[in-house]
Amino acid sequence: MTAGRYSGRVAVVTGARRGVGRIIADHLLAEGATVVGFARGEATVTDARYQHVQVDVTDSAATARAVRGVAKEHGGIDIAVNNAAVLTSQYALIMPAENAHAMVMTNLLAPFIVAREAAKVMRKARSGRIINVGSMAASLEPVGDSIYAACKAALTTLSGVLAKEFGSFGVTVNTVAITAIETDMLAQLPREKIDEIIAALPIARYAVADDICNVVDFFAADRSSYITAQTLYLGGVH
Amino acid sequence: MNVPAIGAEAAEQLVLTALVALNDELPEEDRVAVSADTVLFGVDAEIDSLSLVSVIVDVETALNDAGMDVSLTDDRAMSRAVSPFTDVRALTAYILELADEYQ
Repeated sequence: MTAGRYSGRVAVVTGARRGVGRIIADHLLAEGATVVGFARGEATVTDARYQHVQVDVTDSAATARAVRGVAKEHGGIDIAVNNAAVLTSQYALIMPAENAHAMVMTNLLAPFIVAREAAKVMRKARSGRIINVGSMAASLEPVGDSIYAACKAALTTLSGVLAKEFGSFGVTVNTVAITAIETDMLAQLPREKIDEIIAALPIARYAVADDICNVVDFFAADRSSYITAQTLYLGGVH
Repeated sequence: MNVPAIGAEAAEQLVLTALVALNDELPEEDRVAVSADTVLFGVDAEIDSLSLVSVIVDVETALNDAGMDVSLTDDRAMSRAVSPFTDVRALTAYILELADEYQ
C-alpha cells in the first residue's frame, strides 16, 4: 500500500494530460491516490496507479459510461476534479460562435455531466468530493474573455446548486478559482495583458503548482465534509 | 451487446428494491409503502421530488450494472404526456419498454 494522504482513494481528473489537470493528477498520484484521467487525447501520465480514459467529456452518454467504468473497476470514486477547459480569448464583437459554443460545452456543460455522474456513484458511499477548477477571470472579467469568464462564473453557481442537491448524501462541491500559471493555455494569451492583471493582484505573482494543490487538498480532505458551495480564489482575487 | 432479457417481475423488483433503499435513508415517520401501488409522482405522490430522483438513479444504476446502457430520464421520458414515473406500475412498464428496445 502506498503511503500518502490519498492512499486508497480514487480520483477522476478531467483534462489530465497537461496543464493544471496534469499538475493535480501528479499531485494526487504522489499522495497515493489511484487516478483516472479523462481526456480526448492519449495519455501523457505514466504511473502504475494511473489509468487513462479517452473520452470527450461533453458527450453525456460516453462520460456516463466512463464514470460507471471507473466505479466498476475501482469500487467507487472519492474525488472528481473538473479541470478540462478550452479558451478562446477574443473581443466579443469578433468572437466566432463556434468557439463560444465550444467553451460553454467544455467549461460548463462537461463539469455538470461529470459531477452528475460522479455523484451517482458517490451517493452509494455517502461521501465524495467534487472540485471544479475555476478562474480569476470570473471575478476580474478581463476584456476578451466574455464567454470564458461567464462559464467560470457559472461554475460557482453550478457548485452552489449541486451542493444543495448532493449535500444530503455527503458529497461536497467546491471551486478553486486559480490565477495565471505557466501552462499551454497561458501561452495562448498576450503575456503583457496577463502580466498587467497579475501585477494588480493583492499577491502580485503567478500561481505555482502548490498553490493549487493546497486548495485541492483542503477541499478533498475528510475534515472538509462541512465545506461546500465555496469558491476559493487564489492570490487575493475576490 | 448481449444483455439478458428482463421480465415484469424482475423489473418491478428493481423499483421495489429502490424503495427499500430509499426507506433506509428516510426517518421512520417518512417511510413509504413498498408495493406496486406506491405513487411516486404527481399530486398524490407518497415521496418528495428528491426521493423520486433517488429511486430513479437507483433503478437506472441497476439497469446499467446489468449491462443495459439506458437513461430513464432522457427527453422522451420527460416529454411524455403521462409521466413514466407516476407509480411503481408505470415505472415498471417503462423499464420493460426500454429493455425491450435494448434487446
